[in-house]
Order: sequence, then structure tokens, then C-alpha cells
Amino acid sequence: MGRYIIRRLLWTVLVVVLVTLLTFVIFFVMPKGDPALRFAGKSPTPELIQEVKESLGLDKSVPEQYGLFLERLVTGDEYGWPGLGKSFQTKQAVKPELVQRAQVTITLIIGGALLWLAIGIPVGVISALRRGSALDRISMGTALFFVSAPVFWLGLLSLYVFWKKLGWLPGTGYVSFGSDPGAWFSHMILPWMVLALLFAAIYARVVRGNMIDVMTEDYIRTARAKGLSERRIVLKHELRTGITPVITLLAIDLGVLVGGTIVTETVFNLQGLGNWLLVAAQNNDLPVTLAVTVLVAIAVSLFSLIADILYAILDPRVRYQ
Amino acid sequence: MRFRRDRWAMASLVFIGLLVILAFAAPLIATISGHGPNELFRDMTDDFGLPKGPNGSFWFGADGSGRDVLVRIAYGARVSLIVGVVATGVAVLIGVTLGLIAGYRGGVIDTLISRTADIVLSLPLLLFAIGIVTACGSSREGCFGGTVQPGLTLVIIVIALFSWPYVAKIVRGAVLSLREREFVEASRSVGAGDLTIMFREILPNLVSVIIVYASLLVPQNILFEAYLSFLGLGVPDSTPSWGRMISDASDIFDVAWWLMLFPGIFLLLTVLAFNLLGDGLRDALDPKADR
Amino acid sequence: MRPRKKGTWALLGALVLAGSLGLAACGGDDSGDSDTDGGGDTAAAKGGIYRVGTTDFGFNGGFDPSGEYLGWAWGLYSNLLTRQLTGYRHTEGAAGSEVLPDLAEAIPEATDGGTTWTFKIKKGVKFAPPVNREVTSKDIAYAFERIGTGSVVAQYGFYYNDIVGMAEFKDGKAKTIAGITTPDDSTIVFKTTKPVGDFPFRLAMPATGPFPKEVAGCFTKAGEYGRYLIASGPYMIKGSDALDITSCKTMKPISGFNPTKQLSLVRNPNYDAATDSTERREALPDGFEFIINTNDKDIFDKIEAGEYEDSVDAVPPDVARRYSGDDALKDRLKGNQDDRTNYIYMNLAEAPFDDVNVRKAVNWIMDKDALRKAWGGPFYGEIATHIAPATLYPGSTALDGYDPYATENSAGDLAKAQEAMKASAYDTDKDGVCDADACKDVLFMNRSIDPYVKMTPIIRDALGKIGITVKVRELPTGPAYESSGVIANRIQAGSNAGWGKDYPDASTFMVLFDGRNILPTGNSGYALVGLTAAQAKEFKIDYPKGGVPSVDADIDKCSEEVGNARSDCWAALDKKLMEEVVPWVPYLHVNNTTLLGPAVTKWDYDQFSGEAAYAHVAVDPSKQK
Repeated sequence: MGRYIIRRLLWTVLVVVLVTLLTFVIFFVMPKGDPALRFAGKSPTPELIQEVKESLGLDKSVPEQYGLFLERLVTGDEYGWPGLGKSFQTKQAVKPELVQRAQVTITLIIGGALLWLAIGIPVGVISALRRGSALDRISMGTALFFVSAPVFWLGLLSLYVFWKKLGWLPGTGYVSFGSDPGAWFSHMILPWMVLALLFAAIYARVVRGNMIDVMTEDYIRTARAKGLSERRIVLKHELRTGITPVITLLAIDLGVLVGGTIVTETVFNLQGLGNWLLVAAQNNDLPVTLAVTVLVAIAVSLFSLIADILYAILDPRVRYQ
Repeated sequence: MRFRRDRWAMASLVFIGLLVILAFAAPLIATISGHGPNELFRDMTDDFGLPKGPNGSFWFGADGSGRDVLVRIAYGARVSLIVGVVATGVAVLIGVTLGLIAGYRGGVIDTLISRTADIVLSLPLLLFAIGIVTACGSSREGCFGGTVQPGLTLVIIVIALFSWPYVAKIVRGAVLSLREREFVEASRSVGAGDLTIMFREILPNLVSVIIVYASLLVPQNILFEAYLSFLGLGVPDSTPSWGRMISDASDIFDVAWWLMLFPGIFLLLTVLAFNLLGDGLRDALDPKADR
Repeated sequence: MRPRKKGTWALLGALVLAGSLGLAACGGDDSGDSDTDGGGDTAAAKGGIYRVGTTDFGFNGGFDPSGEYLGWAWGLYSNLLTRQLTGYRHTEGAAGSEVLPDLAEAIPEATDGGTTWTFKIKKGVKFAPPVNREVTSKDIAYAFERIGTGSVVAQYGFYYNDIVGMAEFKDGKAKTIAGITTPDDSTIVFKTTKPVGDFPFRLAMPATGPFPKEVAGCFTKAGEYGRYLIASGPYMIKGSDALDITSCKTMKPISGFNPTKQLSLVRNPNYDAATDSTERREALPDGFEFIINTNDKDIFDKIEAGEYEDSVDAVPPDVARRYSGDDALKDRLKGNQDDRTNYIYMNLAEAPFDDVNVRKAVNWIMDKDALRKAWGGPFYGEIATHIAPATLYPGSTALDGYDPYATENSAGDLAKAQEAMKASAYDTDKDGVCDADACKDVLFMNRSIDPYVKMTPIIRDALGKIGITVKVRELPTGPAYESSGVIANRIQAGSNAGWGKDYPDASTFMVLFDGRNILPTGNSGYALVGLTAAQAKEFKIDYPKGGVPSVDADIDKCSEEVGNARSDCWAALDKKLMEEVVPWVPYLHVNNTTLLGPAVTKWDYDQFSGEAAYAHVAVDPSKQK
């Protein structure tokens, strides 16, 4: 197992290298303007443009810049380790901002995940147990609705209703927990709900499917034949086996969401990683783009590793390859 | 047949049929209403350039440029359907081919293909969409040696680029289990070539899996296009798109609810219909899925 | 997703050319006292915190006054934070465009044939804590050393190239700038290589303010000093006093400025109002808070509720509509002339715009009223009918009522457009509709944000009527600007452009038509007026057979004029551009728009920075929430 994990971690490193390399290629090889021009005033002299390039580190050749980027990432820079440089736009160190932004995104993801587990699993379980009933059909229909609804549309719609029309909730944006816990909560409810409803719908469908698969397996039938109480069968066997895949699913989703909440963040004006990446990529802010890219690639790879390990622990049939 | 008995799937099929008719008949709607999809009606915006809501002649109101929302929704169906179907088709084509090769040949080729798929899946997808779209839009020539211009083609390429790995992975898994089956051994023993075995023997056995998966990929890709358009990375404004219409509404959704509501409902219903259809197909074609 | 009031660039300060208006140092006009009072008859009193919301600071030089080129930042420096040798009244209109002494005791007459300027600095002006010492002439001299230091990236450093020895200092050939001397702590002498009549105006720009070398000397990379800014004006960044200046290493960024969240200003305890005048700065509130709130709608909700006093961002049209329709709220809505022109440019080196008849037809067909509606209607500015706003032609009446392409309601005129098009070779069958291939798929650049995207269908529709079909590229602001400035990209036309004044003199607009300014990358004159065959060859683009018109000679001629003759000369060039060269379709002289909160008791507009005159605002804390 140790060797397996090491191999997977090395793979993660390779992914980070490849992904950042691709980012560099897109940034430099594709024909675009020169970001240095934006910081050189409205009548720039070639000398001034050169100065700006030097100050942004854009004066060196592309391979050299990429080498420097990797070197700083590993050995650190004037702002500490890992070396992520400073933003072209704000001239501020990327790292502290990255930490701040990550907090927002993680708040969104964790709150959303708790909510979707709390909704998705019970709904899935009950639907499976009451299979074919009106309750099952209604909950599965609702689930399909939320799987199909575009997140940004649900977001705008909920803002229209709960903020503009009913006035129950404050507007969008992020308020830090430290500054005002109440406002933090009231600002996060809608984003959590909108994110959670989509995933709750997916999870309910998965849990229900798994439960139904398990219920028809031989050992459950045997248990039932042996006269074990229905309550015991459901709790001990069906639930356990039915929910196991959800855990690995959750691990994968959490990883993917680190860079995958762009739309939710945009609609609700949350200044998280996704929103930052969108603005940075649109404005050629290379250091910020790279920093978020690295973080996202690591998150995706690590969480998928965690998912695989959990899967192996929970399901002894799986062997590491 | 089981599919026929699935009322929801049948209803979805009908809805999709109607949508296709709507897409084809969009010019007819434009003619009947007398409002072209890009025609600007000065009367439909006020002194502050804000759109006016539904009335007798503009059933779904106007957008910020004074264009008829209903007519644009009809035209928007074209983009959603074309992107949904074509991007999925391209993704399936690439995914099936690579998945077949990876699963059948194994070894280095398998590793190469599987790892490429893994890397594509761990790319921050929107970042690359932004990069590609911006790069292609910056100069006269477009990008990739002038072969690609921003617009529908680019959107389809971006979507296909990011959705083939899912197909490849599923196909590869299925091929791995089929590869060792007797009928494959049998044709190999009579001297059939690899290509023949892959496409004549194995592929037909995958058809139902592929159909089911593709039918579930279509709604995802329709949403994908809407997300890209919402973020300003989709088709140009002269081509009406539901995602872009909702995006246009995002600044004024509180004073122009119709601009947000109607395109959204159409998008929702379309995705829902394709999802129901996919579910129905899966139930009908996949014998294990007895749900 | 609203546009900022400002473009990427600052609208440079309102500088009156010395030659034209003279340096009336302190006019008797007391329009510094605000007449645009927001809260009825309540007397403006000291105290309270004035809070301003903004979706983004948008600094392009990290808030270091040496390099920062954002109009709003200039307003903060000159109203509140730093004092330059010269300054302004910070009020609306012509009174706000006059230059006054600030740190200097008076604005001197130039000697030695207009090449020597000797300034005396006021006594008793002290830097804020922790520096706490008197401002001396050496602190001003050091500002110029920063301008001459490449790594600082002084974006408008070109204004000081006429100082003797600046070039040598920049090249590292000299350790000091020979043309700047400080005989004693209160005297500074500038020598220029040629007479620079508007020199006092250039000394009002923030880069020339006093910088304490013991702090600023530690930060010579672009944008770094912004977080260590030491004030010399009535306010300072909150937490400045806690800065440990024992050495460069002990300094940590001042706590009151977080570039992604908030900028908080408090009173500078070392500021002595006796060295200043209330005409320039009243400094009524006890502090200022500039808060980043990424939700534009929320900012205006908060202003309405009294949680903010003001915003940096433009007022959204739906808010403007609601306020202007309500008599009780109307007065809280402000629209002020921003000395700025937004325009559609046409590339004179590219077909079909290498034909003046096509360019005229475009001017005739464009629905300027609809374009203004895309911006939000009349509240957002006046429809433009010539290149530079009329305010930049002081003393000239040549452009009064001038509109060479006048159409009903400014909505465009198909008949006149077709008439112009018929004269073009690109309309082979002379039906008034372009039928040449050159008119198909014209590459048109635009920004991907509101309201620019709302203009796209209007432009597409208008051009379509005369046979020009466009391939519109909508890019984010930065990349759109950068792509347009690369000549090799051969963008044929675009609407991603706007230009603000540098001085209330049209020369600051005409630089865009000077062929000698054309650069292969970073070019600002997108229309390429004055492009020569040699330049075209150098930039590797085709040179049109009919050539490209040049106005270089007109520019040189007008540059030598003074007074009203100068204004008339520029106005004549403006007309020539509109009627003979036709590089643009100017469509809007943009307004700066503001919404005030219920607690604002005094407010004025600063013509210099094109933003609120923070030096003259006041709040009533009892009405704040």
C-alpha cells in the first residue's frame, strides 16, 4: 500500500507539471496581447514596456520563465514557500490571497456537502425502501429536476425570490465568519442550497440505486431467510453496503469542486478560487492563474487518491494494482 | 418493448421532437411575429436602455437591446440542440475509438491513453476554455493555424475535448471484460486482424452501453454550452443562445425577470427531457438496471 | 459586472495650459464651497466616517503615487493623502481646473526665458507618523529620482523628460538629476531644456509629491510603496503610526490598506490646517473608508439604506431610473461631465475603411442614440458629434452646435449613408450598399462586459444596412485593449475605445492622430491616421494604394499656438478630422455618475480627478447606519 501511495503521489507531481506547462503554452503560444502593456500607461515608450516586463518577470524566454516558476514553487520565493509570486494586477503576493480565497471556496464546499449528504442519503434510502411508492416517484422526479436545472439559473431565481422579492435574505457576497457570524450564515445559505440541491439529487439517485442492488443480493436474502429482523437487515447490511460508494464519490466530488464552483461563485459573488481564476485568466494575470491551477490539480489528484484508498478499505475485494 | 411502456421517456421524446420542430420553425415564428432574431425595437427599451416586459406583441418581452425574447428562444433551441448532439457525437467518436484501442491493445498504449484521459479530467476546464476562446478571438486569423474561429465550432471543440475521456474510460472497461470472451478468441483463431476484431466483433457488443452513455452526455453538454455562454465564452451574440440570454439578465434580473425566467425554463425542460430519455434508454437497454 | 467609471487609464488631471489662461493662482471665485449639497439645509459639520463602496480598486500601479495612473487614486492623493507643490480647488467645472499653490508658498514666474522655476516650500508641513518630520525640498527632489528610476515604472514619467539631466539620470550616467537643485530645505529649483509653460500643472501630479526617502527608499520596485505610503495631507492610512521604520526589514505593510478588501483613512495628527486653505481642502469627516464590495447591486442598496455614502462605480441604469423618477430622491443622483469621448474607430490601413466614403457612410448610419441607450440613456452623457469634448476648446466657439453627421434623433440616416457609400469603389453597382468582399466579415473588436456587449447588436445592425457584415470579437477589457494595440493583429474596427483628457487642451486628444506616435505594439491610435508606407513595411502590413491621410503638420502648427487662437486651431483640426479624415464615429461624452447616501450633507465633484471631491464632503453621523 505504501508503494502504491508513493506512486500515486509521484503521479500527482507529474500532473501538476503537465497542467502548468499547458497553462504556460496557452498563455504564451496562443496569439494574445501583452499584459505588460496594461501597466505601462497610455503612451508607453518601448523602454517603459521593457521595464514593466522586467518587473513582471516577462522579459525572459518562455522556457526560462517556466523553469523559474517550477524552481520557485519548490524552493520558495521572497514571500515564503511555496513560491507563487505576486499578482500582475494588484502587485500583491499571491499566497495570502490564495489562502483567503481557498477559505471561501472550502466554506462553500463543506457547507454544501453537509447539506447534500443530509438530504441526498435519507431521500435515497427511503426511496429505495419504499420503491415504486408515490413518495419514491416524487422524490426521484424532484431529484431529476435538480440534476437538470442550470445552477446559475437556480441561483438567479433564488436571489430574485428570496432577496429581491421576499427580502428574507441579504444580497450576495461573502462575509467572513470572524467579522459577523450571522451575516456569514445568511450570505451562505443560498449558495449552499443551490450547490447542495444539484449534488443531493445525484446522491439520492446513486444511494437508491445501490440500495436496490444490495437488496437483491443473495446474502441479504439469506439473512432474511435466517429470520433476522428487518430493522437489523436494513441498518446493518443494506445501509452499510449501499452507502459505501457514496463515500468514495464524495471524496472525488470534493476534489473536483475545489476548482469547480466557478459558476456558483460568479452568481453569488463569492470571492473564492473559481471567481479568482475566472478574472485572472480573462486578464492574463499569469501568477494567479498558475497558483490556482496548481492548487486545483493537486486537490483533484489527492482527493481521487483518497477516494481509491477509502474504497479499498471499505470494500476488501479491491486490490491495489 | 420496455421503452415504449416508459411514459416519462415517451413524453420526453415527444418534447424533444417538438423542440426540434421549434428549432427548424424558428424563422416561421420570426415571420409570424414580424420580429427577426436580431431585429432591434427601439420602443422595447426605455430611456435608461432597460428592456420592457411581455405584452401582446412581445409575449416573452424584450432584451436589453430591444430584441424579441420569444423569437430568440426559438433560435436558441438550435444552438442547444446542435451543440448537445454534435459535441456529444464528436466526444463519443473520439472516446470510443481511443477506449477500444486502449482496452484491446493494453500495455503502453493503454497506459498512454488512460493517463491522457486522467490528465484532461484534472485540468481546470474553464481555465482552458477561457484561454482557448481568448486566444482564438484576439486576431484576425483565429487560432490553430487559422482553422478555428470563435463561435459554434470552437464551443463544440472545447466541449468535446473535455468530455471524451468519460466515454473512453467506460468503453475501455467494457472492452477489457469482452476481450477474453470466447467469440473474440474464436475470430482470432481464424486469423482475423485486430481492426476486424475491434470493430466487427467487440464494438457491436458495446452499442447499447454507448447509446445509453451518449444519451446521458447530451444533456450534460447542453448545460456545458449554457455555462460557457453564461460566462461569456460561448457563441457570438448574433447567434441566440439560452445561456447567453440568462447571462444578459444577470445584471438586471430584478427589473427584467422575463429575461431570466423564459430562457431558463426552456433550458431546464430540454435538459430534463434528455435526462428522462437517457434514463428510459438505460432501463430498456441495460438488462442489469432493473430499477 | 458593471463597468467602472474609469477605463484602464486615469483621466489625467485637469491641467490648463499656462499660455492660454495664464496662471491665475488664486482667483476670487469661491466655488470651492460646494453648491451641490446633498442633504438639504443641514449645515456641514466635522466628524463622522465617509464610507465608499467599490467593486474593485482597479489600481494599475499598486497605489504607489510614483506610478499609479488611475484617476480615482489621483483624487485620493490630492484630496486627502499627499500634498504636491501645486494643487487644485477640487471642485466642479472651470474653477476646478485652475492650478493653485499647495505645498509651495506661491507659483513663481519662470525665469531664464521660461526654463527656470524656483519654488519656496511652506514651513510647518509635516509627514504623518511615524516619520513625523517636516517636509523639505529634498523630499520633492527624491520624488523625481523615483520617476527616473526604471524599476519604479513611473507610468507618466514622460511629462518630466524636459528637466535638465533627467535622461542622464535614467541612463545611470549621473547620480543626481542636474536640473533639480535644493539650495536649502525650503527651496527647490527646476531647470528645463526648453520653456515648459504648463510646468506648474505637471507639478500637481501625484508622482511629484514629497516622498520620505527613509521609507520610500526601501521600495523601488513597481507598486511596492503603495502599502507603505506616508501621508503629508489631512489624512493618513490607518495604522501608519504603527510602522516600524528602524530599517527596511522591520517595515510591514500598513494595516489600514488591504488591496483586496479595504482602504481606511484616519486624520493625520501632524496636519496643520493653517498651512492649507479650506478652498482646497475642508477635511470635514474624521475618516474615510473605501470598501471593496464585489456586489454592485448590494453597494447601491447599502447607499440607499445609509450604510455607505457614495460609490466609485457608475450608477446602474435601473437605480438611476428609480431615483430620477422620484422627486424626494432625485437630488441624490449626480451626473458630471467627465471630459471623455467614447468612439468607434476604423483602421485606415485596412479595406474597406481605407476609403473615406465608407467611413463617412458609417458615421451617417450609426444610431448614436441607441448606443447611448446601451449605456443607460441621457443621464450617462451627451452624444458626441466631434473628437474632443467642447470643454477642451476654452475660448473657442467654433464647435458650438457642430454636428457634420446630424440625423434625426441622432438615430442614423440610411439615405445619407447610402449616398456616401455610392461614392465608394467598394459599392460596385452604386446602389448604396457595399458589395465588395472587403465588406464581408469585417473584424470588429469589442469588450465582453456590459454595456459594451449591449452595443454589439446595434453596431451590427447599423453596418448591415450599408452592406458591411462584421465578425465581432468580444474579449475582456485587458486583452481587447492589448489586441487592438498590436498592429499586426490588423483589427479593422472596434468599439472598445474611450479617451480622457490629460489637460483641458485638445492636444491631449490629438496625440492619437499623430503618425509619429504609432507603435507596433502598445499603439493607442487605433485608426492609424498618419501611417506612412515606411511604417507599414516595418510593421509588416499592406499599405493602402490610396495612402493614409496625415494631420502631423496641423498638429505641429496648433502646438505652437497660444490662447484662443490655439483653441480655434485645434477646433479646426477636429473639424478636419470629422469631415476629411474620418477615423472615428465619436458617440458619447461620458458622464461620471454618483449616488449619494442619506447622511451626506455636503458633496462636490472634482474636475481634476473626475471623481467625488473628497476634500469637500461631509456626513451627518446621526443619519448613518
